[in-house]
Amino acid sequence: MKEAHHGEGDKKTYRYGMVVDLDKCTGCGACMVGCMAENNLPFRKDNSDRTRSMLWMRVYKISNGRTFPNSDISYIPRPCQHCEGKDHHHATPCVSVCPATVTDYSHETGIVSQIYTRCFGCRYCMAACPYHVRVFNWWDPTWPKGMKKYLNPDVSVRMRGVVEKCSFCYHRLQRARDKAYAEGRAELHENEYQTACTQACPAGAINFGDLNDPHHKVYKLKKDPNAFRLLEKLGTNTKVYYVSSKAWVRKAGNAYTGMQGDVVIPG
Amino acid sequence: MKLDRRTFIEILVGFSAGAGAGIMLTPVNWKIMDDMAIWSQEMWPRYQLGGLKGKLPERGKVTHEDTVCKLCPGGCGITVRKVKDRATKIEGRDGYPVNNGGICLLGASGLQLLYGPWRVPGPLKRSGKRGSGAFGRISWEEAIDEVVHKLTDLRDKGEAHAVAAILDSDRGTVPQLFSRFLKAYGSPNFIRTASDQDTYELALNLMQGAEDSVGYDLEGANFILSFGSGLIEGWGSPVRVIQAHSKWRSGNGDRARVVQIEPRLSNTAAKADNWHAVRPGTEGALALGLAHVIVKESLYDPMFTANHTFGFEDWNDFTGKIYMGFKSLVLTEYSPQSVSDITGLSPRKIVALARAFAEADRPIAVWGRGKGTTSGSLYECMAVHALNALVGNINKPGGVSTRPDVATQPWAEVVQDATACTCFNMPRVDGAGSSRYPLTKYLPDRWPQVMDGGNGGIKALLVNGADPYFTTMDSAAVAKAFEHIPFVVSFSSYLDETAYHADLILPNHHYLERWEDMPTPVGLHKPVLGLLKPVVSPQFDTRHVGDVIMTIAKSLGGKVADSFPWEDYKTALKETVGEKWGALEEEGFVEDANPASEGSFGTPSGKFEFYVTAFDQAGMTMRKDEEYLPHYAPIKPEGNPVLYPLLLVPTELMRLADGAVGNPPFCTKTLEENELKGDGLFVEINPMTAADYGLSEGAHATLATPKGKAKVLVNLTEGIMPGVIGIPKGLGHKAYDDYLAGKGVNANSLIGVVEDPVSGLCATWGIRAKLTRV
Amino acid sequence: MDSASLPFDQALFPEGTKRCKLKWFLLWIAALHGPLTVGAIAAVLCWGLALNVTNLNNNYPFGLWIAADLGVIALGAGAFFTGFLRYIVKIDELKNIVNFAVVIGVVCYAAAQGILGVDIGQPLRGWFIFWHANVHSMLTEVAFCITAYFMVLLIEYLPLVLENRQINKLGFFHGMAHHLHEAMPAIAAIGVFLSFFHQGSLGGVPGVLYGRPFAFREGFLVWPWTFFLFILSAIACGPCFTILITWITEKCTGKKLVKRNVFDILARISGRLLAVYLVLKTIDTIYWIALADKAGAPFSSFYANQPYGYWVLVLELGALGVIPMLILLGEKTRKNENLLILACVLNCSGIFMNRWIMTVQALAVPVMSFDKFVPYIPNWVEFASTLLFVWAGAIVISISYRYLPIFPQEKELNPQ
Repeated sequence: MKEAHHGEGDKKTYRYGMVVDLDKCTGCGACMVGCMAENNLPFRKDNSDRTRSMLWMRVYKISNGRTFPNSDISYIPRPCQHCEGKDHHHATPCVSVCPATVTDYSHETGIVSQIYTRCFGCRYCMAACPYHVRVFNWWDPTWPKGMKKYLNPDVSVRMRGVVEKCSFCYHRLQRARDKAYAEGRAELHENEYQTACTQACPAGAINFGDLNDPHHKVYKLKKDPNAFRLLEKLGTNTKVYYVSSKAWVRKAGNAYTGMQGDVVIPG
Repeated sequence: MKLDRRTFIEILVGFSAGAGAGIMLTPVNWKIMDDMAIWSQEMWPRYQLGGLKGKLPERGKVTHEDTVCKLCPGGCGITVRKVKDRATKIEGRDGYPVNNGGICLLGASGLQLLYGPWRVPGPLKRSGKRGSGAFGRISWEEAIDEVVHKLTDLRDKGEAHAVAAILDSDRGTVPQLFSRFLKAYGSPNFIRTASDQDTYELALNLMQGAEDSVGYDLEGANFILSFGSGLIEGWGSPVRVIQAHSKWRSGNGDRARVVQIEPRLSNTAAKADNWHAVRPGTEGALALGLAHVIVKESLYDPMFTANHTFGFEDWNDFTGKIYMGFKSLVLTEYSPQSVSDITGLSPRKIVALARAFAEADRPIAVWGRGKGTTSGSLYECMAVHALNALVGNINKPGGVSTRPDVATQPWAEVVQDATACTCFNMPRVDGAGSSRYPLTKYLPDRWPQVMDGGNGGIKALLVNGADPYFTTMDSAAVAKAFEHIPFVVSFSSYLDETAYHADLILPNHHYLERWEDMPTPVGLHKPVLGLLKPVVSPQFDTRHVGDVIMTIAKSLGGKVADSFPWEDYKTALKETVGEKWGALEEEGFVEDANPASEGSFGTPSGKFEFYVTAFDQAGMTMRKDEEYLPHYAPIKPEGNPVLYPLLLVPTELMRLADGAVGNPPFCTKTLEENELKGDGLFVEINPMTAADYGLSEGAHATLATPKGKAKVLVNLTEGIMPGVIGIPKGLGHKAYDDYLAGKGVNANSLIGVVEDPVSGLCATWGIRAKLTRV
Repeated sequence: MDSASLPFDQALFPEGTKRCKLKWFLLWIAALHGPLTVGAIAAVLCWGLALNVTNLNNNYPFGLWIAADLGVIALGAGAFFTGFLRYIVKIDELKNIVNFAVVIGVVCYAAAQGILGVDIGQPLRGWFIFWHANVHSMLTEVAFCITAYFMVLLIEYLPLVLENRQINKLGFFHGMAHHLHEAMPAIAAIGVFLSFFHQGSLGGVPGVLYGRPFAFREGFLVWPWTFFLFILSAIACGPCFTILITWITEKCTGKKLVKRNVFDILARISGRLLAVYLVLKTIDTIYWIALADKAGAPFSSFYANQPYGYWVLVLELGALGVIPMLILLGEKTRKNENLLILACVLNCSGIFMNRWIMTVQALAVPVMSFDKFVPYIPNWVEFASTLLFVWAGAIVISISYRYLPIFPQEKELNPQ
């Protein structure tokens, strides 16, 4: 893996990642729908069971646990965190456990991939992920009559019995690269490759780009003193940063369950 | 046979090698494995896309087309990504003056509505009992004939005034065509569905003499004081407000302070810098309390109040009679202590808030409860608006102005024949414009109530762009009123509640399939005219409602037909837009400057009137001076407090559409687990109150009000005032289909109409209720 | 004895043994097919309608199936461990039970693979685990070792089949059986090697999940401590399971099949291993608490959600650990058959509980502070399809017992 990181000639490496401004996030859910529409996520007549609902992007509602009228809520949009891991023995949690090499961490882009047609549904990766970003196809995906017309050909429709997750809209990167290649460019502009949720967010709360590139917005935003990552202490080394001016939100994002006692409860 | 060790090993090795080689070399194994892999990956029959050739989903040339979203009054510009002739994604349109690239979740779900099974496939005629959902397909000619026949009949009997039309808006060419049709035909009954615009338009008419609704320069303001407006929930043009919020939250000079007044921790309250929970229905009192402090501490704009307002100071008429001004009223009646007693907010907080508001550079007081889907109390609206006048932030950048439209070509006056003339001047079915409510334009919540009383009635109802059967308060009364209408025609693209209870459905094109103009979105302070363009060809046997209404008019013949000189709707639209058409078609929108100028008011006094003189002019009799002024006139919730000890307030979830368009599956999927579980809708209640009634999280309960009863689930939250129950609006559909129908209860079925004594509009903010464990 | 009253199929019985009438035997087998059919229906539902028919969800990607899988493999450790003791440590007495241990092992490992076949979402692609193997995954290691070891087990089982009275009459098979017996120490050694690895790797499955503080353990090289604990706990309980199943078989057949001194050897070894295990497990637990606490996950949060209270820890290590250990260590208690069986039951329950804790409870404990605890109770489909392999196992054992010379001491203990 080390070779891939530094080797391969002069191929430039990127670390695509996100910075979500929770002060701006209103929890409106446009990112969730943008993602569902972009990535052909199926839906069912009853989706109210969140433990089986197919969401690549899930907006968590959290509460500060205080009583009326001192109560407060915040939202945490949670795509795949695209964990980088630390080293060979501490690699991306889901990648090292997958028995069939379905999922991989690309050191070129920093994106954790998933090959749906190779996954045989053992769900070990789901057990490995503390962020619940991975969802399993408990059902055959079906669409009401006529609705398949809106499906996006850039993203394959998944079959029952496999695990899927947010890909940082990898197909958009491919499209952007194709375009750049056709135009004889080696480099992408920052706005050429944006995820569907970033594009959908009406608040501009979700920022996406190359965390390594000083010219990208995310590079600066991740250095905000109020920036934090989810469960940073685990050492998953995620590439999704959050910014909140509220101390209790930062604490909730960083902490294990139970640590904060009665301060944070699921909203 | 004697077997020695050697032979055995030979046999064993030979056998193993043979078997191994055989297995490896036989293509059957590899073929089977390969087939299993492929079959489980691609060939599984269910994954194949019916109707589309080849592998799924079909590829093709990708194009992007711009149009405007029509799913709410927000009017956002959208870009539709197409693959060949399929629309595959809706995204916000970059550079559009309303939403600049942003989109909301409803807008992003539009394709589910376009391609959804809840579309009306073509003209339908009711074949079973009304409300049974039994319809049969008929041809467009038959459908139009039916309507023409019925309307001719009524007109021949001199009952043209018994026809009514309910629409979601009265602006833009399509509502104007309906309005024109009714006028030419002879009916005064053009009804617009309820919204806070009803009251705000009236308040602006009374205080500023303006014909228009309100526009807020939210982007320019730096202090936003919201009286229960769900700014984040989807108020006004939702994406625009969310973008304004992000601006308020940015670190530079655009930073604004937001204060939310609301009994519940809505998302707006949570995103606000300060959240002040006041008792529901007392917002008006708080506004006046703030006015008290502002006046008392002389924090108001002396120039504006002196030069551009009327009725601020006490005044006397030519007879020398002294009338009370706004200043005296607030100073005597609304001291922080007395307002604190009403609202429950401490005097200290009231004073601090008033100071902060008045001392801000560009403060705005925003009114319109929730998403603005109810009309509301007139005096409350006036009280809040008076705050804007006090700080002199009317018709200024960063302030409040009227909402203007881009100027278009006026149509020729309708020439009415005798029948039309007679019938058109008959009283309206809802009582708007009558001597009792002379200043009100539409009373959308009142017509089912008065029909119920047998007070005249509608004999034919045309509904377009609205779903009054679902969205009107007091569902039982609405159902009964519908039963009394012998002929209901819906132009809906979807099988919504009203269409479901109609006799005929003449489906309009979906908004992505048609031409239409989109006037300035709700709450915007700058004129924008957007254009809906067909992005996909009609998916079903639908027709543009504009064409249909013109065909009906032409079939009626005579003067009615003469009023519609255009060949078709698109011609009418082009002519209406006039010289701007080229730019509009090219760009998809045209903008104008706001014509409103500081200090010009259309009131009798030519000034901003704290003291409304228009009441007298309209012949309304007010008993006391204070009734001419913004004052606190509590709207009492229905129900006996002994029988119904709690207060039920309708709430709004930002991920749940509660207007004329049913929530698409994508949006329903985003609802939280403590909002919808299975078919059960959660009501919010404070844990303290819940404990009093023995209710735990997720408990099943019966919610009863004087208007009805419903089974609900209980969500305990510290985000709501003790003693108050919050019920989200938007669920409880019986129409649409399994993805929406049967989920939850319609909040409107539990809440009745309390009329505002002056406007006659529905001023309901809640109702008394009882919650019992099941 | 009158030949007419002999069972119809008596010619197939092991030399010098007595078996019930064929009709009773068939009736018994038929009776087992009742629940087996229910299990088969459950499995078919899973394959036909996808896994939504279970109570598993995205919070519980692992449930009863995986816990049961890890459980039966641990219980099946009796096969390789008895083989190890018999052929490598050369405790000769164990030849009297090693055959049956192999049969039990075959059943356990077949069950494990069968359960996995239902558990995975795309069973038709199950072979991708070999085809696209990821060498870093503990599960890959498990899959390879289990498959290989299952083949070893079948080779160990084969001579028993060949020694059937009629089959053995064929010279070729007789010879083959004989030579296989001769090769058994080598085969057993391979089995031991493979077993150590996959038992350990199963421990590695939860142990490497550093995103789940409840399951995560530090370790030695690539192996988390659970790797070693799982091996140890498996060999500590495997012999007890062999004793237990033998005892149940005795009760069912109404015969003594194995001499008590054989039981005693296994029980004694089991008790000592259990003692070692418990010491190490206690050290591990203390270290785990410190590790989790250092990383910010207070120990109390692991036991904050019912039904996973502290009682879980007490029950697992105390009632299902220390008690059987004491019984097995004490010579007097060990020789009391009732107490011995009690100890075996407790020990086997303990292993199952441990596997449940390391998989299901590990997933039940919320990690993000705003995660909600969600309860999980397996539904009938999961139970029935898991138990399917118990019934199938009972059938295999019944047939094996009836026709194969599994118990060398049977003739001696039950003179005609």
